[in-house]
Amino acid sequence: MAGMVKPQSGFVITPHKVSICILLQVYAPSGQLSVPYPFDSISQHNRLGLFLIALTKSCDDILEPTLDDSLKLLKEFGGLLYNWLTDHVTGRLSSISSPDDLFTFFTGLRGILAGLETSVIDDDQINLDPNSNLGLYLRRFLLAFNNLSFEGMCHLLTNIKSYCKEAFSSYGMSHLDDASNDPEAPLEYENMDLENIVLQNFTEELESRKKSTEQVPFHNHSSKALISLVEDITVSPGQKVKQSLRSETQMQSTSVESSDVIFQRTNWQIQGFLSEKAEMIEKLGSSFPMSAFESVLKLLQNLAPELHRVHFLRYLNSLYHNDYPVALENLNRYFDYSAGMEGSDFVPPINYTNNGRYEIALLSLGMTHFYFGHPKLALNVLTEAVRVCQLHSDDTCLAYTLTAICNLLSEVGISNITGIMGASDSHDSTSLSVQQQLFVLLRRSLKRADSLKLKRLVASNQLALAKFDLKHVQRPLLSFGPKASIQLRTNPTDVCKKLRLSSQLIHQFDNESSIVTIDGALSTSWLKNQREPTTTLVFPQESELQSNRDTFYSWLQSSSVPGSVLQLVGSSFLVSATSWELYGSASLARSNALVFATCFADSASSADLALAYGKLIQHLAVYKGYKEAFAALKIAEAKFLSVSKSGILPVKLQLLHERALHRGHLKLAQQICDELGVLASSVTGVDMEIKIEASLRRARTLLAANEFNEAASVAHSLFCKCYKFNMHVENASVLLLLAEIHKRSGNCVLGIPYALASISFCESFNLDILRGAATLTLAELWLLLGPRHAKRALNLIHSAFPIILGQGGLELQSRAHIAEAKCYLSDSSISVSEDPDIVLDSLRQACEGLEALEYHEMAAEAYYLMAIVLDKSGQVEEREEAAARFKQHITALENPIKPEDPLVNLL
Amino acid sequence: MVIDKQTCRTELRIAIQHLTDRCLHSASKWAAEQLVGIEHDPTKNPPSHTRLQRGSSSILRRFRATDETITCTPIAGTSYVSTPVPEEEDEAVDTDLYLLAKSYFNCREYRRVAHVLSDQTGNKALFLKCYALYLAGEKRKEEETIELEGPLGKPDAVNAELVSIERDLAAARNNGSIDSFGLYLYGLVLKAKGNENLARTLLVESVNTYPWNWTTWSELRSLCTTTDTLNGLKLNNHWMKDFFLASTYHELRMHNESLTKYDQLQLTFGSSNYIKAQIAKAEYSLRDFEHVEVIFEELLRTDPYRIDDMDMYSNVLYAKECASGLSYLAHRVFSTDKYRPESCCIIGNYYSLKGLHEKSVMYFQRALKLDKKFLSAWTLMGHEYVEMKNTPAAVDAYRRAVDISPCDYRAWYGLGQAYEMMAMPYYALHYFKKAVFLQPGDSRLWIAMGQCYERNDIGMIDKAIKCYKRATDCNDREAIAIHKLASLHKELGQNDEAAYYYKKDLERMEDEERDGPNIVEALSFLSSYCREHGRFEDAEVYCIRLLDYNGPEKEMAKDLLQEIKFAQSQHFSS
Repeated sequence: MAGMVKPQSGFVITPHKVSICILLQVYAPSGQLSVPYPFDSISQHNRLGLFLIALTKSCDDILEPTLDDSLKLLKEFGGLLYNWLTDHVTGRLSSISSPDDLFTFFTGLRGILAGLETSVIDDDQINLDPNSNLGLYLRRFLLAFNNLSFEGMCHLLTNIKSYCKEAFSSYGMSHLDDASNDPEAPLEYENMDLENIVLQNFTEELESRKKSTEQVPFHNHSSKALISLVEDITVSPGQKVKQSLRSETQMQSTSVESSDVIFQRTNWQIQGFLSEKAEMIEKLGSSFPMSAFESVLKLLQNLAPELHRVHFLRYLNSLYHNDYPVALENLNRYFDYSAGMEGSDFVPPINYTNNGRYEIALLSLGMTHFYFGHPKLALNVLTEAVRVCQLHSDDTCLAYTLTAICNLLSEVGISNITGIMGASDSHDSTSLSVQQQLFVLLRRSLKRADSLKLKRLVASNQLALAKFDLKHVQRPLLSFGPKASIQLRTNPTDVCKKLRLSSQLIHQFDNESSIVTIDGALSTSWLKNQREPTTTLVFPQESELQSNRDTFYSWLQSSSVPGSVLQLVGSSFLVSATSWELYGSASLARSNALVFATCFADSASSADLALAYGKLIQHLAVYKGYKEAFAALKIAEAKFLSVSKSGILPVKLQLLHERALHRGHLKLAQQICDELGVLASSVTGVDMEIKIEASLRRARTLLAANEFNEAASVAHSLFCKCYKFNMHVENASVLLLLAEIHKRSGNCVLGIPYALASISFCESFNLDILRGAATLTLAELWLLLGPRHAKRALNLIHSAFPIILGQGGLELQSRAHIAEAKCYLSDSSISVSEDPDIVLDSLRQACEGLEALEYHEMAAEAYYLMAIVLDKSGQVEEREEAAARFKQHITALENPIKPEDPLVNLL
Repeated sequence: MVIDKQTCRTELRIAIQHLTDRCLHSASKWAAEQLVGIEHDPTKNPPSHTRLQRGSSSILRRFRATDETITCTPIAGTSYVSTPVPEEEDEAVDTDLYLLAKSYFNCREYRRVAHVLSDQTGNKALFLKCYALYLAGEKRKEEETIELEGPLGKPDAVNAELVSIERDLAAARNNGSIDSFGLYLYGLVLKAKGNENLARTLLVESVNTYPWNWTTWSELRSLCTTTDTLNGLKLNNHWMKDFFLASTYHELRMHNESLTKYDQLQLTFGSSNYIKAQIAKAEYSLRDFEHVEVIFEELLRTDPYRIDDMDMYSNVLYAKECASGLSYLAHRVFSTDKYRPESCCIIGNYYSLKGLHEKSVMYFQRALKLDKKFLSAWTLMGHEYVEMKNTPAAVDAYRRAVDISPCDYRAWYGLGQAYEMMAMPYYALHYFKKAVFLQPGDSRLWIAMGQCYERNDIGMIDKAIKCYKRATDCNDREAIAIHKLASLHKELGQNDEAAYYYKKDLERMEDEERDGPNIVEALSFLSSYCREHGRFEDAEVYCIRLLDYNGPEKEMAKDLLQEIKFAQSQHFSS
C-alpha cells in the first residue's frame, strides 16, 4: 500500500554527530596511555566521558544543536580544557574539505575501537569496548558511513561546511547585530520571499509574547512553554530569547533556502516530535501559537511528503483554533492517506489487516463535530463508527466510540435522540429516555473497556459514571418498598468510591515500566539541567529553592506516567471537588480544587485549570467576601488571558451579578444577566449549564426588583426546561427559588409546598447544603404565617444549623442568624428584654458577614432588629450606633452607584 | 475583426527566429505549429504545401457544416493592437561566444553555457546564461530529489541557482535594461520561490512587450487560478491573448467560453492541430464523446506521431468500449515513445478495458514514475483499485489526485464511492458533496449521492429524493433517477408523486423501446393507482398491457381487470 511507511530506526550521519566523534577520538585516542595528552587528571578525562555519554544518548532528538550551541555546552563541561577542545573540534571540522578527508577520518575512528578478539586488554591503554555505550555509538556510526553512497558523502560534506559556516557567521552576527549586513538580504522589499515574511512574523509574534511575559508575571506558565516549544532542545530557557530565535531561524532558513536541504531525521525521531507537539496542542488549546507551528508543519511536509502524521497535527492545530473547514479538510486528508494506520497510539501492529482502520476516522470526525458543537452530526457519525467497528470487529475502537457517545450524551443537551441512535441499540432504544440510554451505554462501555484492559478508558468511564450518579437518581425497581432500604446511588460515599477507582489508574502506571523511548529525552533534559535550573512553571518562588537534582528527579517521576493519565486523574479530583460542593462540604471541595490546581496544573488542559480556578474564586467570594475574590480573579484573568473559551469569564460575571444584587444595583445586574445569556448561546454549541444559570439569575434579578409575576414565570419555564433535559439537581434550586418568590410576595401558603418539594429533591440527591437553605426558607415561611408558628420555625432552623454554620457561606449563615433572631422576637414565650444576648449574639454575627458581602438590604434588616432589641433592653448608646449603621445601609441601597466604585468598570 | 493572416505569418516567422535564437525550443515549436496552422488560400499554393493541412476531411466538414453560419460571423468590437517586433541587437563581437554557448546549450551542457557567457553583457547573453543556469539547477534538483529519497518520501528539493539568477535579473531590471525574455525568466524564478503576485506582474509585462512567447503565457495561465485574478490582468489586446484566454477558460472550467474562443481562432488558424486538440479537450469536458472521437481521428491522420493529449482519446475509446481502437492506439504510441506518461496511461486504459486490472495498475504506476503529478493517472489508478476491491489503495490514489488538483471531481467522486464500499456512507457523503459542488450538472454524481442517502443505515429519504430530482434535471441518460424517485415516493406513500414519476418512466421506456422489470413495476403500480382514483379506462389499458408479462403480476392484472369490469358495471348501473 502506497500510504504505509515502514518504521525506520536508521542512523543518519549529521555534522553534529561527526563532531561528537571528533571528541570521542580525543577521549580515546588509539594506543595511548591512561591519561592521554590534553587531560591533566583522570577526573577530567572521566568528565568528558560522561559528557560524551550524555551527548550520544540524546542523539535521537529531533533538533540537533548547532555547532555554536554544542561548543557552549562543551565550555561548561570542559572547564580549562575548553579552548583546546573547541579549537580541536572546529579545526578538525573545517579541515574536512574533500570526500577523501571524510574517508580517512572514518578509517581513523575505526582504530579506537578495541578489537572483539583481543581478550587481554592492556590496563594502560585506552580502548573503547565495542559493547559499551560509546562503542556501540561508534559502531553504529561506522556502519552508517559504510552504507553511505558517494552522493550521500557529498551531501555530508556540504552539510559540514554549512554547519561550520553557520557557527562562524553567528559569531560575526553577534558582533554586528545588523540585519543589513546579511549578504543575502533582499534588494527590495518586493523580493522578499514568503518564507522570510513568515519567519519574520513568527519571530515578531514570539517577541511580543516574550514582552507580555515580562509585563504580566502570572503569564509565565504558558509563555515559557511556548518558548521552550520553539527553541525546543537547542537552547535552554535561561538564555536570551533573541539568540534562541536566531538559531531557530537559522535552522529553518538553512533548511529552506540552501540547496543542501537534508532530511536527516529518522522516522522515529519525527514521530516522537510530533506526538510531543500534539500533546502540547491539546493541553494549551487556543493559546498554542498557530501560525508559527503551521509553518513548521508546512516545512516538514515539504521535506517528508509521505509523513501523513503532519496532516493530523494540522488538524489538531486548526481544531483548537476553531477553524472548522481547515480542520475537517486535514482530518479527511490524514485518514485518506494513512487509513488510520499511522501514528495512532492504540493500534496494535499485529492486528494489521488490509482494510485499513477507517473507523478511527469516523471516531475522530465525530469528536470534531462534538467539539464544534454539532451534536446531531456527531451522533450520526459516531453511530456509523459503531457500525463500522462492529463490521470490522474492532473492539478497541468500539470501546472508545461508546465512550465518546457517552461523553456526548452527558455533556450536550439533547432532549430526544430517537431516530438517531436507532441503529446502534436497535433492540431497546426507542422506549428509553436519553438518560436511561446513557446509563446503559456507560455500563456497557465500562464493561467492554474492562474486558479489553484499556485502563485509561476504564478510568474515564468510571469518572463518567460517577458524574452520572452525582446528577441522576436511579430508583430501584421496587420503589414502593420500605423507605429505609432504598440506598440511592447519589450517596456521596458511592460517588467518591467511583472517583477513587478512577484515580487508582495512576498506581497501575507507576508499577509499569512504560518508559521505552524517552531515554534520549532524559539525557537531553539532564544536559539542560546541568546548565541552568529549569524553573517549574506555576510557582516560581518555590522552584528557586529547589536544587538541580530535585527538578531532575521530579521530572523523572512525572515522566513515568503518561500525560493523558495524569489528566484523567486530575479531572477525577475536579469532579470530586464538584461533588463535595454539591453535597455541602465546602472545605473538602476547596481542598480538592486546590490539589488539582497545584498537582495537576502541568498536565491538565487549560480549560480544566480555568474551571478549578473558578471554583476556588467562587469559594473565596462565598466565604471571604468580594474583596478577596476579585483580587484572585484578577490573577486568574491574567493567567488565562489567551484562552478563548475560558471558564473564567462566566465566573467573573457571576461574581459581579451577585455583588450587584447585594448592593441593590439592579440595572447593572440585569446587564450582567444579559451578558451571561449571550455566553450561553456561543458558537461552539450551547452550554446548558450556563444557559440554566443565566435564566436562574434573571429570575433572581426580577425578584430583587419585586417583579414577582415575571420572576415566577421565568422560574416556571426554567423548571420545565430542567425537567425536559433531566437536570434534577438544578431543579432543586429552581424550586427553592420559587419558594423564595412566594415568600417575598407574601404568599406563604403557596411557598411551603415548593420548599418541601425542594427539600425532598435535596434529600434524594444528598444536596446537604441546599437542603439547609431550603429548610431555612421553610422556617421563614412558617414564621411569616404568624407568631404561633415561631416555635416550629425555630425547631426547623435549629435542625439546619449544623450544616449551615459548618459549611454554609456567609450569606446563608447571616440569613439563618437573622431568622433565628426573628423567631425569638416573635415568640411570646421568650422575653427579649430579659435576655437580649440570646438574640444579639446571632445578630452581630449576621452583621459581620453581611458587611463583608456588602449586602445592604439584609444588613439594614439586621441592624434594624438589633436596634429594636437594644432599645428594648435599654442600651441606648449601642442602639444609636446600630441605628446609624442601619441608616448608612439604607442610603447605600437607595443610591447604588458610587463614582469611586472600582468594580463598575470591570465589565 | 478577423486577424490578418499575412501579418500573423510574418510576425510568427520572426518570432520563431527569436525564440530559437534564445533556445526557447518549446515556445518556438508552438509558434511554428501555429504558423503552419494558418490556413492557406488553396488557389495560391501548390498542393505539396498543404500536405500537413488536410484539415478538411469529409467527416469534419460534415460536423463543421452545421455551425458554419455561426463561425463565419465576424466578431464585433475586438480590435487588436499591433505590437512592434523588436529589432534584434547585433552584438558582433560576442556572436562567436554566443554561438558556442548555443551549441553547448543544444547539447544540454548548461553549466558550460553559463561559464562561456559569464563575462558577456548583452541582453541575449544574459538571458541565455540565466536560462542555462536555471535549467542546470532544475536538473540538479531532480537528481537531488532522488538522492534524498528517504522512507518518508521524496522531499521537495529546491533549485539552488534561483538566488543568483534572481540577483542578476533584479539588477538588470533596476537598470531598466531587462528585455521581455529576461522578464519571463524573472517571473519563472519568482514563481518558483513562491512570490506569485510579483511573478504575475512581471509575466504580464513580458507578454505585453513580446506576445509571441507561448511559454510565458502558459506560466501566466498557471498563476491564474481564479476568474478574479484573470480579470485583474492588464493585458494588451494582441491576438495571442485569445489563445491565452481560451486555454485559461478551460483551466477555470468555463468550457463553453473556451470553445467560442477556439472557434474564433480557427477562422485564422484553420488547420492548427493545437487548436483542434484543445477543442477536443473542451468537448471532452462537456462529455461530447462523438465529436471528440472525430477530432482525434482527424488529428491522428494529419499528425500520426502525436502523443500529446492522446490519453484523452484513449479515455473516449474506453468509454465507448472500443477495445480494438484502443489497442491500435496503444500500439502506435508505444512504438513512438513508450516513456511518456500519456503512453503508459493509454496502455493502462487498454488493460483496464480488458479486465486485467493488475497490469493496468502497473502501467499507471509507470506513468506516475515518469511524472508524479500526472493527474489523470492517479484518478484512473484509483478506479482500478476500486475494481480490485483494494479500497485503501484506491482512497490513497484518489486523495493524491485531489491534492494535486482540488477541482478534479472524478477523484472526489471516487473517494466517495470507495468509502461507500467500505460501508461508511455518512463519511462518503462529504466527498460526494464536494464532487457535486464542482460538477453540478452531472447526473451520475447526484444519483450516487442519492443512493448514499437512501441506504437504510442512514435513511434520509427526503434528502435522497432531492438528489434524484436534481439528477433528473440534468439529463439523466439511463433514467435511474426517475425510477428511484417513483419507488421512493411509493415507499413513503406519496402516491400522486409516485404515479407522476412512474408514468414518466414508462413513457421514456416506451420511447427507447426497452423492456424489463421496471416496466412491470410501473404498470402494476399505475393500474392500481388509476383504479383507486376511479380512472377505470386508464387502469384497464395498463392492466391489458400487463397481461403480456408472465409472473404474479399477470394474475394480479387479471384480478384487477375483473374488479374494474365489476366496478364499471356498478358505475353504469348507478
